Amino acid sequence: MINKSLSVVKIRDTLMVTMPTDPDDVMVSALQEAVLEAMEKYRPQGLVLDISAVETLDSFFARTVAETSRMVALMGGRTVIAGMRPSVAITATQLGLTMGTTMAALNVDRALDLLTAKPPRRESA
Amino acid sequence: MSALTLESVSISEESDIMAARQAVRGAASKLSFTVTDVTRIVTASSELARNILLYAGSGVMRCSLLDHDNLRGIELTFEDKGPGIPDTELAMKPGYTTGKGLGLGLPGAKRLMDEMEIESKIGKGTRVTVRKWLRS
Repeated sequence: MINKSLSVVKIRDTLMVTMPTDPDDVMVSALQEAVLEAMEKYRPQGLVLDISAVETLDSFFARTVAETSRMVALMGGRTVIAGMRPSVAITATQLGLTMGTTMAALNVDRALDLLTAKPPRRESA
Repeated sequence: MSALTLESVSISEESDIMAARQAVRGAASKLSFTVTDVTRIVTASSELARNILLYAGSGVMRCSLLDHDNLRGIELTFEDKGPGIPDTELAMKPGYTTGKGLGLGLPGAKRLMDEMEIESKIGKGTRVTVRKWLRS
């Protein structure tokens, strides 16, 4: 299986990253840096991480996604993971993985809807 | 019980985790495991292969097909000559880590598989064996 190099694409006001079927550690590590650089360059509202092709999501990948999502949040953006397969959701839950506060959507369309929706307003005192 | 060793993958760098995963995916696909079971087995192998890298530096994974009467399954062993695990019971506790990981590897892999055994000797090394049986 050949892993294509990771590309971060800006569409309108959103960054989009599509993960390959079997992302290796090098690619997972590269994700963080590529995303944060693109955040600075394009200043988008957020990031959609399309994982609909991903067949293996282990603790290293999950931790990197959760960390990246926190970093994106610190820079002022929001992260949505999109399209997790049922077998991956079952495995991730049994393994005990958590994605922190990262939002999730059934597919990329719904992820974009989530990002363009206004964030819930905080009650002001 | 007969066991047919299909493949062994030496693990000493990050890219070997991928090689181990692919070997396991190939073997698990030979038996007619469901997609979810294949995902469980491959994910468990990823955690255990990474443990070798994190804690021992290098080691080897062996992948065997099991045939026991009418029961068929897959067995993975992860062997290293690392420092060993001082307290295997503690190491199995979810969330326990010596600081390098999330503390999910061993207990998580156990939940994903049907059976798990850990043999470890301080200063000698560790062998983790996991099995998953094919439901008929």
